[in-house]
Amino acid sequence: MRVEYINPFVEATFSILKEVLNTKVERGELYLKPTSHPVLGVAAIVGLAGDVEGRVLFDMARETAISIASIMNGEELTEFDELGKATIAELANMITAQAVTKLHDLGFRFDLTPPALITGINMEVSSPNVEALIVPVTLPQGKLEINVAIRERA
Amino acid sequence: MSAVDTEVQKEGSHRPDEGREKIDFKMITFSLGGREYGIDIMKVKEISKIDRFTYVPNGSPFLRGVYNLRGEIIPIIDFRIMFHLPLKPIEAGKAENVLILNTEDQVMGVIVDSIDKVIGVSSQRVKPAHPLFHDINVQYLKGIIEYGSSLYIVLDVDRILGIAEERQAERPAAAAEAPAVAAGLEAPAFAPSGEEESADTLELGFIRDTLSAFRGFVVSDLNLDWVKARLGEWRDLRSSEGRGVQLAEPNEADDFLEPFYSPYTGELWGEAYAREIEELLPDVSGGTLSAWNPGCGKGYESYSFAALLDRHYHGKRIKVWANDNDLLGISMAPTLAFHEEAIPPLLAPFVVKTRNGFGFKQELKDSILFEYHDILHPNPFPEVDLVLARDILSFFNPVQQQALVQLFRSKLRVGGILFIGSNERLVDSGWREVRKGGVCGFERLADEEPSNKEQVT
Repeated sequence: MRVEYINPFVEATFSILKEVLNTKVERGELYLKPTSHPVLGVAAIVGLAGDVEGRVLFDMARETAISIASIMNGEELTEFDELGKATIAELANMITAQAVTKLHDLGFRFDLTPPALITGINMEVSSPNVEALIVPVTLPQGKLEINVAIRERA
Repeated sequence: MSAVDTEVQKEGSHRPDEGREKIDFKMITFSLGGREYGIDIMKVKEISKIDRFTYVPNGSPFLRGVYNLRGEIIPIIDFRIMFHLPLKPIEAGKAENVLILNTEDQVMGVIVDSIDKVIGVSSQRVKPAHPLFHDINVQYLKGIIEYGSSLYIVLDVDRILGIAEERQAERPAAAAEAPAVAAGLEAPAFAPSGEEESADTLELGFIRDTLSAFRGFVVSDLNLDWVKARLGEWRDLRSSEGRGVQLAEPNEADDFLEPFYSPYTGELWGEAYAREIEELLPDVSGGTLSAWNPGCGKGYESYSFAALLDRHYHGKRIKVWANDNDLLGISMAPTLAFHEEAIPPLLAPFVVKTRNGFGFKQELKDSILFEYHDILHPNPFPEVDLVLARDILSFFNPVQQQALVQLFRSKLRVGGILFIGSNERLVDSGWREVRKGGVCGFERLADEEPSNKEQVT
């Protein structure tokens, strides 16, 4: 993944999470993963197109998703219902959009697709031929992994 | 008896045809990158001019998009991108020439430069493809046929379209297996060849283990000559200091490895070294020169290499893919800054003053793409003319080394050069060593006959 893309995603993740959850956000070591890997339970995907092609995937356990959605909505959710799903999708949208805005300022043109939310157990995601950058984040609510797979268009 | 009779009769009935040629194979001919190709007409559903595809994100580079063919959605593939052939830019508003192919289970369109005609020949005249036709990998070819005054290369549609899908699945599996087998393969290189050598072998074994434990440096055929020679020097050096040969700490491993690294590791290249590399650069046709620089570290060698290529191939477009899996190092690469007195003449034309000292001009930066990438993971880079991989193979286990050399080979065009470390040596077949002073290069030779090739891979 192009070096210039890394920081905007990391910065956007932190500033948005801090802002909406109003809590301490800890970052783990960044690393690269090859094509496929398991997903924790709730995955929000935002596609990218433009100068590049790829996608950003926000991956977390169901409980983490529920408690994040609860804080963002200011009410205690017990189920991962429509409201919860919409909230997590919106969070993914906010983070990606801010990263894309930062990238735009650096001169890279990206377009976003609307976020898609996928839930289930024992899921795996594959992006053939693109390795993914993993930004692990630890919140009081649980673990969140941001998985960015982007490549230059040939 | 009667069965034999009928067979004889059958053969007899064919005889009158032998004099004349029987036309039993028709193909559509088209051109790609200036060469003539043919495809079995039975595979072609129709010919079409298409100008608007729907772009699909996240697809392979050669997948140009999808197209609605009278209600059926079909993928459109560009053969020129797939086979790394020169792409003729199409005039605005003009449609691409597309062959709609029908394989067993699906329909798809392929873009070609131009579609010529249909010719009928005898299938017996299709000769096996010669590996010299290296524009397209020999495994995708059915054969070559002469018709009139031209030669047509017959493509094997099923294999091309099948392989386009499989290509992605295979590579990661090979990489994952690698570490498991590694331990088994290391040993044989050091099997003692004689009684008197056993003490040396033992020492070498210790050195090998400590180098790999402290610095991840793997002793293999690639660098065995150097390690043996260095061990001799090291022994003399250490005994003069009254110490043993063995490496007790990581920094002793660094001392041992110090002369291993190629000249100007982590520095901008000096003029003498640059000239040595320059003399090995191959001739390149076409307007673009692409190079791959895995393990670029902080980017010093990428900038030096890009500047050298620009000087040598003046006027061509230079594209260097530089990557490293050291996040901290490569993060600094795009904005590398330095003091002016440290600039060798090679890079002097590209230097500008910036806020924090001196940096490189945008035109040089634009020719390099720095990526955070692990070389053991699959990558989407297209075919390149040069690979600059100094001193990195020695830091992978023998199985990974093999896989990487194969990877370099598959990414390099025939006649392209792979530069490895000054003290490294490729033992694989299919390469020709080219050397100049401290520079160690290997030219990629054409593939062998397909039958042999299968054994190699």
